[in-house]
Amino acid sequence: MNAATYGTRPMSLFDKYGGIRVLRHVIMEFYDRVLDSEIIGHFFENIDLTRLIDHQTKFFSMVLGGPAQFSDERLAAAHSHLKLNHAEFDEAVVLLTETLDEAGFSPEDRDTVLAAIEARRTIIVT
Amino acid sequence: MFPENLSARLLKSIGVGVCLVDTETAEIVFCNSMFNTWFADAKQGMSLLDALPDLSDEDWASAGQGAMIEVKTKIKRRTLIIELRAHPANYDNRELLVFECQNVSRLRETEAMIDSYAAMVDRRTRDLEREKTQVEKLLLNIMPRTVYEEFMTFGSVAPRLFEPVSVLMLDFVGFTQMAAAADPTVTVAELNDIFTAFDRIGELHGCERIKTVGDCYMAVTGLPHPNPDHAMAAAQCAAKMIRYLERRNTTHQHQWKARIGIATGSVVGSVVGVQKYIYDVFGPAVNMSARLQALSAPMEITVCSSMADSLMDEFDMENTRTEDIQGFGKTEVSRLSQRRRLPGTGRMQPVPGLLAS
Repeated sequence: MNAATYGTRPMSLFDKYGGIRVLRHVIMEFYDRVLDSEIIGHFFENIDLTRLIDHQTKFFSMVLGGPAQFSDERLAAAHSHLKLNHAEFDEAVVLLTETLDEAGFSPEDRDTVLAAIEARRTIIVT
Repeated sequence: MFPENLSARLLKSIGVGVCLVDTETAEIVFCNSMFNTWFADAKQGMSLLDALPDLSDEDWASAGQGAMIEVKTKIKRRTLIIELRAHPANYDNRELLVFECQNVSRLRETEAMIDSYAAMVDRRTRDLEREKTQVEKLLLNIMPRTVYEEFMTFGSVAPRLFEPVSVLMLDFVGFTQMAAAADPTVTVAELNDIFTAFDRIGELHGCERIKTVGDCYMAVTGLPHPNPDHAMAAAQCAAKMIRYLERRNTTHQHQWKARIGIATGSVVGSVVGVQKYIYDVFGPAVNMSARLQALSAPMEITVCSSMADSLMDEFDMENTRTEDIQGFGKTEVSRLSQRRRLPGTGRMQPVPGLLAS
């Protein structure tokens, strides 16, 4: 028997774009843009940064197919008290799009990530 | 107070925040523009403790002793972490502390992220480790450890000749009828119990289970590690299996009666199959043990009489006769009967009830 007979899993975006290195860039950049946003920046004032980064690292790792689990329940719990509306969610999507473009994501890969975010709209918007 | 010379201009333009403070009064003597971008209120003549609301009296005291301290400051919505380190200096007979300040926010954020990621990776590693153990356990069920290690190292297993070994073949009498008559799930559950017990007995004697096919159980001694006493080990195993069944039958409704055959010879062991593979052995000893098993009466062990020499210390050969065995011709075979050591005497006597036909 031969190991080559087994199929290999397709490479995740997480691995394709260089793992934690690109993730760090994306998260820091996204966080900067969000803070500067007139629409959603105020949500991030006085936030526990360590916790936010921990959540974002896990969430983005999962969305990119990396080694993380971030349940929809946790996502809901993190956002429910903010009572976000669709316009605010849209703003975050715009900022993420800019971040991913700048980080060098191809349009298809960027759309894959955005679709994963969009799929969670109803969890985040209340 | 501070001369408008080159060093002052330098201090103003560098990317490090600098602040000179009177050691006694904590009064700010000078601060550069970078320091002011972080602490906008700070100006000459003001107390450092007022300019940096986040700076506690303890921080101030420990900074005086050269400790590194961190203060938070907010610029718009962003909370920055500024690291301050004081160096004592003397200017114009005045004791000063030169505060060297750096923005370490990004560093702290990155550290938080690395911690988070490391925890994720650790967890993933533990999961993988657990999965690996499970896979190993499964694979060790279908092949001996040495074969498994060869398989993991090279991705394949070379067929290997083992010689000499003894093959133990066991089959139950009337299993098919039993499975049909009773609830088959119960029958199979009992079979599972019995085979598990056989595996334990095998472990004690270095008897490696190769496979089970339906109600047939096949095990080999002397594989993968050579064992000069392979015949004795197989015979002891077989006798214990029979004794186990006898004892079990006294307390259970279903009566399990086995036939066993043991043959000595050479076998080739190899992994067979690619996607659905098993470890299997082939060779005349395998065929012979199957034929001998078929010759056994219920609860009997049949061996080739030629094995007597290896077994005579513990077993008697009974009912020795010549049988015409397919593929082997006329062969002398015997029923195996175990003697039991009498306590204290060192003499052996047949075990009552065991192997009596």
